[in-house]
Amino acid sequence: MIQTAEDVPRFDRRLADPARRVSRIGTGALGGKAQGLVAAARILDARRAELERPGLRLDVPALCVVATSVFDAFLERNRLLPLVAEEPRDERIALAFQRAVLPTEWLGDLRAVAQEARAPLACRSSSLLEDALSRPFAGVYGTKMIPGRQKDAAGRFKGLADAVKFVYASTFLHEARAYRRAVGEQAAAEKMAVVIQELVGRRHGDRFYPDISGVARSWNFYPAGPAEPREGVVSLAVGLGKTIVDGGACWSFSPAHPQLPPPVRSARELLDVTQRRFWAVNLGAPPPYDPMAETEFLVQPELAAAEADGTLRYAASTYDVRSDRLAPGLGRAGARVLDFAPTLVWGELPLVPALRRLLAACEEELQAPVEIEFALSLPEGEPARLGFLQVRPLLVSGDEVRVDEDELRAPRTLVASTAALGNGRAEVRDVVFVDPATFEARLTPAIAAEIEILNRGLVEAGRPYLLIGFGRWGSSDPWLGIPVRFDQVAGARGIVEAALPGMNPEPSQGSHFFHNLQSVSALFFTALPGGPAVDWSWLAAQQTVAATEHVRHVRTGAPLVLRVDGRTRRGSVTRGESGAP
Amino acid sequence: MATKGVNAFEMAQAQFDRVAEILDLDAATRELLRWPMREHSFAIPVRMDDGQVRVFRGFRVQHNDARGPSKGGIRFHPQETLDTVRALATWMTWKCAVVDIPLGGGKGGVVCDPHHLSQREQEQICRGWVRQLARDVGPVADVPAPDVMTSGQHMLWMLDEFEAIHGGHYPGFITGKPVGMGGSEGRTEATGYGVVFAIREALALLGLEPKATRASVQGFGNVAQHAIRLYTQIGGTVTCIACWDEADQAACSFRRESGIDVDELASVSDRFGGIDKAKARELGYELLPGDAWLAQPVEILIPAAIENQIRADNARCVNPAVRLVAEGANGPTTPEADQVLRERGVFVIPDFLANAGGVTCSYFEQVQSNMNFFWEKDEVLSRLDSKMTAAFHAVSALADRRGLFMRDAAYVIAINRVAQACRDRGWV
Repeated sequence: MIQTAEDVPRFDRRLADPARRVSRIGTGALGGKAQGLVAAARILDARRAELERPGLRLDVPALCVVATSVFDAFLERNRLLPLVAEEPRDERIALAFQRAVLPTEWLGDLRAVAQEARAPLACRSSSLLEDALSRPFAGVYGTKMIPGRQKDAAGRFKGLADAVKFVYASTFLHEARAYRRAVGEQAAAEKMAVVIQELVGRRHGDRFYPDISGVARSWNFYPAGPAEPREGVVSLAVGLGKTIVDGGACWSFSPAHPQLPPPVRSARELLDVTQRRFWAVNLGAPPPYDPMAETEFLVQPELAAAEADGTLRYAASTYDVRSDRLAPGLGRAGARVLDFAPTLVWGELPLVPALRRLLAACEEELQAPVEIEFALSLPEGEPARLGFLQVRPLLVSGDEVRVDEDELRAPRTLVASTAALGNGRAEVRDVVFVDPATFEARLTPAIAAEIEILNRGLVEAGRPYLLIGFGRWGSSDPWLGIPVRFDQVAGARGIVEAALPGMNPEPSQGSHFFHNLQSVSALFFTALPGGPAVDWSWLAAQQTVAATEHVRHVRTGAPLVLRVDGRTRRGSVTRGESGAP
Repeated sequence: MATKGVNAFEMAQAQFDRVAEILDLDAATRELLRWPMREHSFAIPVRMDDGQVRVFRGFRVQHNDARGPSKGGIRFHPQETLDTVRALATWMTWKCAVVDIPLGGGKGGVVCDPHHLSQREQEQICRGWVRQLARDVGPVADVPAPDVMTSGQHMLWMLDEFEAIHGGHYPGFITGKPVGMGGSEGRTEATGYGVVFAIREALALLGLEPKATRASVQGFGNVAQHAIRLYTQIGGTVTCIACWDEADQAACSFRRESGIDVDELASVSDRFGGIDKAKARELGYELLPGDAWLAQPVEILIPAAIENQIRADNARCVNPAVRLVAEGANGPTTPEADQVLRERGVFVIPDFLANAGGVTCSYFEQVQSNMNFFWEKDEVLSRLDSKMTAAFHAVSALADRRGLFMRDAAYVIAINRVAQACRDRGWV
């Protein structure tokens, strides 16, 4: 395994050689993400013949890692450590970091990186704590895309310098601090490297994006139907992978059963739960200057734009209203549904076997279940390009917990689920729940803000709690569920996705939000419609500690016991033996 | 580059003649480049604080502007001569050319001693200097800058006079202005940082890791301090520095094997870069004779004080461990000492390449002033690094290709560029 920056060749601006695809600036550590990428590049180099197939070219897009010594020097020379120790508001940190100067000795190299860039660049965090086997910090820190649109090197360099500072600042923003607290890590233990990587994709007018992006895991925390956890899971989206990592609507499937239909009642329903918009890098008119916005250089058009760009060929089916069926492809008029049927059902693109081989190779290298991020560029008349954007080990708990089927119907059971996630046992006395009497889907952003306030108080008091709400937690789409960020619920030891008509509780499989909660061993209880549910009346009778307009915080007389059996996916929350009314 | 007891301009011409031979320049080009294109010599009458009028002698020499507006400092010095100014203007032409910035070479001066002049009297000299030259200098003709005993304040007085005469704002007329008044971020650090950018590239060429090297530095002024700071940041260790002690009227070296701390020493130094010996000793520094900096067992020597410091009489004291000399000062090595270093295989980064960071940043200031839009420090310093690194590699590649020493290679590149510009313009 690659450990330090010295294992990677130094960036040499005199050798702008496209074959020299992995390099570094600075010394020290590379951080988790960069380590995985370097490992992936080596796997590809060593096993290319075994992994590549005609019509599909594999590569790790050219990348340069800004190692942690640059971060250390940046903080020290700009005297930023006293400021971040005060834990000020995010805006103050953002401003101070943007005003600070990057270390002189590395500026020339960064300028050369910007100068050489032909495609847009992604600047991704690669921290010491992030992505480490025991503590994945995926998605907590910043990522920024830079268009590379500016013809002059000065514009590109400024974009890159701002992006590096943005990633550095994200180390100390509220969300990251809350995450570290939740996993018991000190800020001082954290150091940040930055991966600057060429984006995979094609230009379509004022937009640049990959035809397909995806996240593949060799272990499935959410197996459905005949799928087994060990078979893994893949999530696909059109455009940048931000759709998936933010928990937006995307298409998930088991690579062992790519043709299995999703658990929906009708094809019509798929129109509501599949991807309707996609993320792309904006190559058009410059956006308002906002270096601290992750989406500064991004746009999110409707699917019609992708169809006009010709990027739905391998991704879309067409909905036929009369028959309530989907027809793979774009051959007829109708609403498009991104179910990737041309690829998964017809096999027009050898993606699934390629991903299976890759997951296996990466598992061998990292000696653990893995998650990979990838992007596909599908230029007409040329082989498809499958670019690796990230490889990280996945945390899979090994504790043995047994939950029998009888327990799910036991009288003391408050919550029962046959589709629970995670593995383990916990005890809590505090419950924060969204009041079913006042809940409406349009209120989810306000509910997220109310939960944040209650969470903050509980984290400060050191009281773990059980969180109960409706729809998909952590969704970026407020109509699919409550759009909380990880830091807003960081103190929850257990989370319940309760069923409510109109809210589809099918969780987002590739979401970093879920990944992060999993990494802090939070347990999930997905209460499927018609299955075991939540005992609301008992909850309502508990002592109220605090209440907001739509959310209540209650405390139970005796502890609640949360248990999830990861093998059977049965999970329960049971009332303690004494004191409970 | 000026040499005591020697006519500096004759020396500059001799250097040029040698390189003209290597380049096989034609007679007309030689004649053109051996001499300044234009020379201004004039009187500046000033009513002094005591009510009497004194007449000061002022100069401006524009050596060659085939590649762009002339660029060079204005010196206030009692021993100023037209020949010194001619030599310095000539060297400015080569310096701008070696780092490939689109400027020619110029230099100016006034025969005066600012130590004995009030602020008002100095202001009147500055304004008088500009009144004499207002038609011959300016953003597209000749761009002055601070030099010996002139500062940002002098530049602002000159700018104000120039703008009053021309009736408008022309911040690109002059450089070295304070930040916020048309000055550039990074200007203070530029020369010292430029020296280290060149050192970094030279070490890579020599196969040495910065963190495995030590350096000894002569001087503790602006250039030396910033060079030490950046060299330390890239991993090197400065074990010795030497500086002038005003009280003793002698130089003194300060040594600490574990490495000197530039901020610590700066905190016990005066504004001219003289270090308080007693306080330095308390901080654990060993005090040695002024020349001791030269004999330290280090890989790098950085003369960053004044001219003629490595001479025939002391060149053999240079420690055998020394692999690299980076000339932060102008003309610190005499031709005889240069020969000794060559024979010993020491890699020399010649002054007009090593310390070109200053004029490069002045050029950036001029560009920013002309746009009236100012860059962030990241932008300035990254451009400086790019320019210096590119210049270093152009010179070292030529040295390698043609078997030249670095100094000769730098001159060949610079003079060839200027000669080519003269030919392209149809002058010769």
